[in-house]
Amino acid sequence: MANDKSSMQLITRGILSENPIFKLALSMCPAVGISTTVMNGIMLGIAVLFVQVFSSVTISLFKNLIHPRIRIPTYTLTIATWVTVIDLVLAAYMPEAYAKMGIFVKLIVAFAIITMRLEMFACKESVNDSFWDGLGMGLGFMVGMVVIGFVRELLGSGMILGYDVLGFKPLLFFILPSAGFFVVGLMMAFFNWIEVYYKRSKGLK
Amino acid sequence: MRDIITIVVRLTVSCLLAATVMGLCFIFTSNAKKHNEHVKEQQVMYELLGYKGGAAIPESLAMHEVYRYVISNSEKQSIGYLVPAGHGEDGKFLFVNIDLDGTMIESKPVTLSAIEALEAETRNKAVLAAVSPGNTVTFADQTIVVTENGNRIAYLLGGKFQGFKTFVHVMLAVDPAFSFVGMEILEHEEDPGLGAEIEQDYFKNQFKGKPFAALKAIDVVKAPIPDDYFKALTGKVSDDDIMQFREQYKDKDIYALTGATISTKAVAYGVKGIVTKFAYRVTVLDKVLKEQQLAVSF
Repeated sequence: MANDKSSMQLITRGILSENPIFKLALSMCPAVGISTTVMNGIMLGIAVLFVQVFSSVTISLFKNLIHPRIRIPTYTLTIATWVTVIDLVLAAYMPEAYAKMGIFVKLIVAFAIITMRLEMFACKESVNDSFWDGLGMGLGFMVGMVVIGFVRELLGSGMILGYDVLGFKPLLFFILPSAGFFVVGLMMAFFNWIEVYYKRSKGLK
Repeated sequence: MRDIITIVVRLTVSCLLAATVMGLCFIFTSNAKKHNEHVKEQQVMYELLGYKGGAAIPESLAMHEVYRYVISNSEKQSIGYLVPAGHGEDGKFLFVNIDLDGTMIESKPVTLSAIEALEAETRNKAVLAAVSPGNTVTFADQTIVVTENGNRIAYLLGGKFQGFKTFVHVMLAVDPAFSFVGMEILEHEEDPGLGAEIEQDYFKNQFKGKPFAALKAIDVVKAPIPDDYFKALTGKVSDDDIMQFREQYKDKDIYALTGATISTKAVAYGVKGIVTKFAYRVTVLDKVLKEQQLAVSF
């Protein structure tokens, strides 16, 4: 199965038509649990982006050496290795950022989106395409987290990136975990509505 | 059968590869990590002394590390101190072995560079070489004596005690009369929202300014913190008012955190233990140093 998409198409696919959170509905736990602020979304997004790109490239490089029966353990091993490496490097060279996002980095091992991309894409396609696909998916995840974080931070605590923009707290409910489901659900509906609208305007079915 | 063998071999090889990558990464980053921890520790120390947020640290300020060891053989135990000797020249240390009743057994000069002294392994070796053969040495704790122009202004005490779940690691600052200057919780695993509140300022500030006499008898009272005192603890009133509240509450007990009385008690009693024991030890050490006319840097 050869891939017929250009690098740019692969990136936009990850962000829009196959957005991990809003379209594929994967890795919902972090989307609901951690996305209370924009900053959290950016931090986790960057960490996922790196792990996704590195893992995709690694699996794509070794795709002919991986026995099909043990591919899932191999994916997990690859992801765990990269997560550990990023964890160690961050702790050593960026201690201040690590203090904020250390806990998120360790969580990434269990993210469904990364394993899914390795299984669906990286184990079949070339290294180059896998890189762009990983980049697109990582960016898509980051965009999703930032958008949800934006809504929840603005409505929940009246702030954006820690700056008080509203001066009051509209709805404390949005900070609570249960509100994460509502926001994700509304965002999904919004993304789907845009897609339908776009296709109709283009005269597609 | 062949399938199983290839699977086993491949899995083993990939695990070994992953382990190599992680191991190499660990080796390359461990030095930087250690350095970071040291920098962070230094920062905590200076913050405890009142130099917050990168305030300039005067050159007259000096820190002298004192390491305490337990020296034991089959018959008896004694306490050994590794102290910087002379006027703080690099590499000169003095090892003082003090009997449990406060008389000196021996003292020996020890040569150890500053980096070697920071590293536990090389330091332990040097101490082991200094004691007479047949003894074992166990590192107990380290204390930092802070001086300004040669006069002691504070002691920084590291320590740990049992919390609600695991050990709580703290660093305390006390002044030469052992009144409380400040505290930082370095590591703990108390429950978020309950025991984890011990790292909040309003809790830590309750200890500030308590004289040694009050610390020795400190206890925990199960009552809500009065509103005006709470405001003073969180720093929402003027500095004069804070000092006034500190004066008013200096002999009072610690208010228990809501739903975390055990954590509160652990910290209060832990602090009490660390400070009272240290006060006794440093008095003994000072007496010995004076009697024997040993020159140390603090």
